[in-house]
Amino acid sequence: MNMPVLGRTMLALSLSAALFVPAVAHAETLSIWARASSSNAAQHMIDLWNASHEDKIELTTIPDNQMVTKLATSVQAGDVPDLISFDLIFMPDFMKAGFLTDLTDTLGADPNQAKVAQAFRDLASYDGKLYGTGFTPDVSILLYNKGLFTQAGLDPESPPKTVAELEKFAMQIKEKVPGAYGYYFSGSCGGCNIFTQAPMMWASGATLLPTSGDAPAMDGTGVKEVLTMLRNLWTAGAIPESAEADTGANFQATFETGTVGMQGSGGFAIAALKANHPEIDFGIAPLPGVNEGDASSFVGGDVIAVPKGSKNAAKAIEFIQWQLTDEAQLNALAKNLILPSRSDLADNEYFKAEPRYITTAKAVGIGKTPYAFKFNDMVNADQSPWLTMLQTAVFDGDIDGAIEAARETMRGIAAQ
Amino acid sequence: MTALAEGAVAPKVKVKAYVARTAGESRGLGYLIGAICVFLIVVMMAPIVLSFIASIKPSAEARVSPPEYLPRALSLENYLKVYEYQAGLLSYLGNSMLVAALTILLCLLLAVPAGYGLARFKMPFKEVWFIILLAPLMIPYQALLTPLYLTFSKWGLANSHIGLAMVHTILQLPFSIYLMRNSFEAIPKEVEEASRVDGASSFQALISIFLPLVVPGVVTVALFAFIASWNEFLSALIFMNKESSFTVPIMLVSVRAGRLGAVDWGALQAGVILSILPCVLIYILLQKYYVAGFLNGAVK
Amino acid sequence: MAAANPAAATFVASEQGDAVSAVLRKYQGLFYVLPALVFVVLFVLWPLAQLVYLSLTDTSLLGGGKFIGLENYAKALEDKSFWRALGFTAKYTVFITPILMGLGFALALLTAPNRPLQQLTRGIIFLPVVIGIGSSSLLWFWLFDQQVGMFNRILVDIGLLSEPMVWFTKADPALLAVTISITWKVIGFGMLLFVAGIQSINGEIGEAALIDGGNYWQRVWYIILPLSLRVIMLTTLISVIGSMLAFDQFYIMTGGNPRGQTFTSVYWIYQNSFISFKLGYGAALSIILTLIILVFSTLQVILSNRSPQA
Repeated sequence: MNMPVLGRTMLALSLSAALFVPAVAHAETLSIWARASSSNAAQHMIDLWNASHEDKIELTTIPDNQMVTKLATSVQAGDVPDLISFDLIFMPDFMKAGFLTDLTDTLGADPNQAKVAQAFRDLASYDGKLYGTGFTPDVSILLYNKGLFTQAGLDPESPPKTVAELEKFAMQIKEKVPGAYGYYFSGSCGGCNIFTQAPMMWASGATLLPTSGDAPAMDGTGVKEVLTMLRNLWTAGAIPESAEADTGANFQATFETGTVGMQGSGGFAIAALKANHPEIDFGIAPLPGVNEGDASSFVGGDVIAVPKGSKNAAKAIEFIQWQLTDEAQLNALAKNLILPSRSDLADNEYFKAEPRYITTAKAVGIGKTPYAFKFNDMVNADQSPWLTMLQTAVFDGDIDGAIEAARETMRGIAAQ
Repeated sequence: MTALAEGAVAPKVKVKAYVARTAGESRGLGYLIGAICVFLIVVMMAPIVLSFIASIKPSAEARVSPPEYLPRALSLENYLKVYEYQAGLLSYLGNSMLVAALTILLCLLLAVPAGYGLARFKMPFKEVWFIILLAPLMIPYQALLTPLYLTFSKWGLANSHIGLAMVHTILQLPFSIYLMRNSFEAIPKEVEEASRVDGASSFQALISIFLPLVVPGVVTVALFAFIASWNEFLSALIFMNKESSFTVPIMLVSVRAGRLGAVDWGALQAGVILSILPCVLIYILLQKYYVAGFLNGAVK
Repeated sequence: MAAANPAAATFVASEQGDAVSAVLRKYQGLFYVLPALVFVVLFVLWPLAQLVYLSLTDTSLLGGGKFIGLENYAKALEDKSFWRALGFTAKYTVFITPILMGLGFALALLTAPNRPLQQLTRGIIFLPVVIGIGSSSLLWFWLFDQQVGMFNRILVDIGLLSEPMVWFTKADPALLAVTISITWKVIGFGMLLFVAGIQSINGEIGEAALIDGGNYWQRVWYIILPLSLRVIMLTTLISVIGSMLAFDQFYIMTGGNPRGQTFTSVYWIYQNSFISFKLGYGAALSIILTLIILVFSTLQVILSNRSPQA
């Protein structure tokens, strides 16, 4: 109990710390922030650039749900990265807030920009100006377990083409296969369900998120039908009980147990399932609508943009234009079985070997992304009107009341 | 771990005799106490042991439902995934170590004199100062981060290890000062009087007489500063701007994240084990001191 | 560091002993406290002042910043979700505090004797205290998982449950699950404080009590408990403040579910500030919460300073 012990402890701590002090980054390096879930795809693109360019790009991964906070605070402090890759759904909010550099004259004039998927071009435009473009896209699709389809006496090669059929198939799997469930969704995750349930609603023309206080919200064919389908499956026990509490943590894990017949998911599931669960024979289909032929999808993934205050804006724009070239799109993305942002490259040599990728690539063409301000408030927040509507309708059964309440709350948010 | 609290208590011989007369009077009672202890050890260790077992399962097996107690195959893939993530585990470890070391230093530089001042001197409005010093305890620190970050970036402290260490110091300062104050208070008056006779200044007295007597308190402050800094996530993320300056918790949050908030359970377990390992090691190495630190510091 | 100044001051004070030195002597202690005070003022109270200002504006993460007076506070008074969250936080605090204190004290009685097995038990009970709250919450979130969770598996195997249950679809099991995980995580902290208290009592008074006779439980009730009062109040204070600021455990384990029934105050503040971007409004809610805790803590500090010293 004397000083030397403390001294040694402190010395040991500071010595071990000194050994690990990271090297100072080179001054000419461009910085890019990307959210964790897309950082793998972003890394492929960056590696390819770094292999062939003098200026290097350095990736910093930001946990998904912290991206907005991180960017907003850094813009206010004037200490921003040169490039930023984030969920395209936040594009309207960020453009309106003036966080991003206007790219109309540079990127807007690039012939490759015209070939980028429509959803990305729409979302990156505000007030007639262009602020970014597609970087690492993803789309929602219907994921189904072919093994369970067969066991239930369904044809594993004909996934449901309508919402009604989806319900019928799910019920059949529940009844015919002991221990199996027909369908799964993360019942406490707003983001998961705007990605996977919403496209089934708007496939038949529904308008979901209002753009102003008196604009249509949760309106049109599809909203009630999809909620009713989910409610029926829930009361019949065709959806696992754990779905109600899933905040998204088990979004992938439940299907991976092999006990779920169908689930709305994303293109990313293909690679993940092939790598981790070769034993599951799964199929990919477009998310169906109310009527046959109404299929749709949510085009998600990341946009790339230049934050206002970027110290290397010119170089940053050079990178953005480069990543839209055939070389970058095919060699960095398609070759690694990641969807390209350019629709014209959807049908490429790398996807030919795996027909399931073709389905996702096609989904980009038919898919949409809602253009909405305050998307977090309406959808992602833990008690958002969108999520509350789903929960009230599916778990409590008051479908009409749930839709009406959501409509009112969303218009209130949009009017603010 | 049996050395825990050994030497912490001056009159421990008496304690032993006393307890022997009470709790251990009958052999049966002794066995009962033993059984309860073993039960508690099992209960408290179970989550960590189960997590460790899950962490060395291959990731496919870690997702089996219902889960198996023992792995059928061993695999380090979860640890490899963490080890190789982005900037590499060593970079995150280095940053965490550096920030933790700076936090310890700052906490001690502030809390030791403050505790000394509060404990051994009369001063006007002492309780006011004390409550001000405890203020960080009462404010939801998540709310302070934005104003703090904007101030720090004006002063050039954002995106620096020292800046982050200052934030971590804020979190840990109230407890540190409280503990040091009580540690200094626990020193008998005679010690101080002896120093007066020697004609030493109060600063000399602090260094040569008091400090050696509060080493357990100092170690306790250091240990808790380390734990707090090592595990802190939110301010580390907001205050640091580069992958190469991120700390371990940020990496762990990123590495276990799938799309749409899905969790990679295998990587999660590996992360939990890796993040608690340094804390547990330091805890075991220093336990003798900080239990005594608690005794002198918190109980007075 | 200003620590060099007081040293000089003392020298002057002790050698001259005039009016100046009397003043210096009076403020000598303050010199030592000053660095910490300056630190807290600069990095806690100044940001707090900014937070107060923020709470009077309509600042959003995306911009804004117009002064709107007390509008945010008026809104907070009518924000049912905030009051519900505050109510839930109080419920959680009232629920978990007696468990932490009672169980902590019982464990302290059990492990206070410095015998090897008890010391080992004490060391292991304290172990989870060194784990980060984020890690521990995720660990328990996994243990409670219906599909892959070991805790469910164990409960089924020992016959307490007939099948794995979903813990987070109802508010009460969710609260119970969080309470179990937090108890595991922090019980050692209170226990160790109590152990320290009991040992110092045993050392000083144990012998006298032994001579007086009386059985073990009588001694616990009439001697150990009253003399531990100060420690118990301190531990209660730390624990209650911790519970009232609870966030990570609910953010990670319940996500506020079901239907927002397990939002805590800080969680709701976080939602408003960072998910809905309403920094100004979040600031107002933070100030309200801080005031509540401040009043409570001040009362506690005053009370415990007046109680007899152990």
